[in-house]
Amino acid sequence: MTLATRQPWLMLSMLVVPLLTLASPAWLRIAGVPPAWAPLWLLPWALVDGQLSGIVAGVCLGLLLDSLYPGPVSAIPALLLLGWWWGRLGHLGPPIERSFNLALLAMIGTLGLDFSLMAQWAWRSWSGLRGLEEAPTARLALPGWHGSDLAMAGLQVLLSQLLLAALLAPVLCSLLLLLLRRLQAASGRG
Amino acid sequence: MPASPWLRPGAVRSLFQVWPLMIGLGLLALVRLSKGAVMLDAYAQLSRPFWPGTAQAEWLRSARRMEDQVRLAQLETENQRLRGLLQLQTVNPTRLSAPVLSRVPGGWWQQLLLGKGSLEGVKLGQAVLAPGGLIGLVSSTTPTTATVTLLTDPTSRVGVWVARNRHHALLSGLGTSRPVARFLEKDPQVQPGDVVLTSPASTLVPPNLPVGVVQSIDERADPAPEAVVQLIAPVDAVDWVQILVPQ
Repeated sequence: MTLATRQPWLMLSMLVVPLLTLASPAWLRIAGVPPAWAPLWLLPWALVDGQLSGIVAGVCLGLLLDSLYPGPVSAIPALLLLGWWWGRLGHLGPPIERSFNLALLAMIGTLGLDFSLMAQWAWRSWSGLRGLEEAPTARLALPGWHGSDLAMAGLQVLLSQLLLAALLAPVLCSLLLLLLRRLQAASGRG
Repeated sequence: MPASPWLRPGAVRSLFQVWPLMIGLGLLALVRLSKGAVMLDAYAQLSRPFWPGTAQAEWLRSARRMEDQVRLAQLETENQRLRGLLQLQTVNPTRLSAPVLSRVPGGWWQQLLLGKGSLEGVKLGQAVLAPGGLIGLVSSTTPTTATVTLLTDPTSRVGVWVARNRHHALLSGLGTSRPVARFLEKDPQVQPGDVVLTSPASTLVPPNLPVGVVQSIDERADPAPEAVVQLIAPVDAVDWVQILVPQ
């Protein structure tokens, strides 16, 4: 947790995630779906700074994203778990640096984040519809992602974000990882 | 008995001499019977290089647009007057223009971020229009920004009706670019191409705002038929929108 304690201002770099989410350039979308930027920032941070810092960064990032999209579902649980897992991976074995490994981890992270959102929507839909079995017209008015939507459009969102993560992670995560390692080494020497 | 002048050999000869005249007369008779069709068609073909160009057609279209606008303004005034007489909802909202700061038409949340907020009088639930019609409702505000949940977002539910036969439906976002209208009747008699407007029965949005056009219909949907609706307003390309702010 060297970076978070000795250079806490570096945590401010996570603000780039909501900014990129809002800017959402059209040329970086697939079928109108923007990338999931949060795992792309969290992955190098957690790999460099460890599991506790990963958990804290995941929660902070989740709070930022939830403030952008206030609603019944939250990105915090998935990002918390990803921060913990990636932080553990970074300190257990040899350092993870290869582009392929980073892309794979970013894809797994995106998959986890999207699955977490889908599971929350599905749970909400199931619990909401359970009490409305006798009133089919009221079921139509229940807002949110439902089973059929998740299976069609939801799957499209998931696949698009996986593809974007695989394309962006080798470049962005490699650069960020390099930068954070240098900063960590500098702060360690200091 | 003197011979008939028609039968004289000289008369027959002169008759053969004027046969071109006779054919000409016959042709003219045909032209007359066809009300000058051949002549007019020939004139049209000959004068084709001198026909009025596209500029004149554009003038005509412009004049027709002007006429439509005048008629629309007159109908709106008349509609307001009649609604007043019937003591119906008489909200006459003003339109507040706002720039689009962020546009996310795909993904888990389908939203716009606008550059006008509560300081300008923007409130939750206000309708947001783009050129072509309704695109969504304000879902949250800050002092200087407003977030619009698009009609395509799965959390969006808006009451609509079909302009042609006035059958009501609930327009629900599916996460795709085309929302679906779920009808309240078993047999709504909707056809592809029907225009969908906001319902006068809705308490969320002003009545009769254009929304979209029916693209296809699923008659076998349960519990009632559904229609896929193509929105008229191009959400992907819009840079400025109008928020309907009640006076």
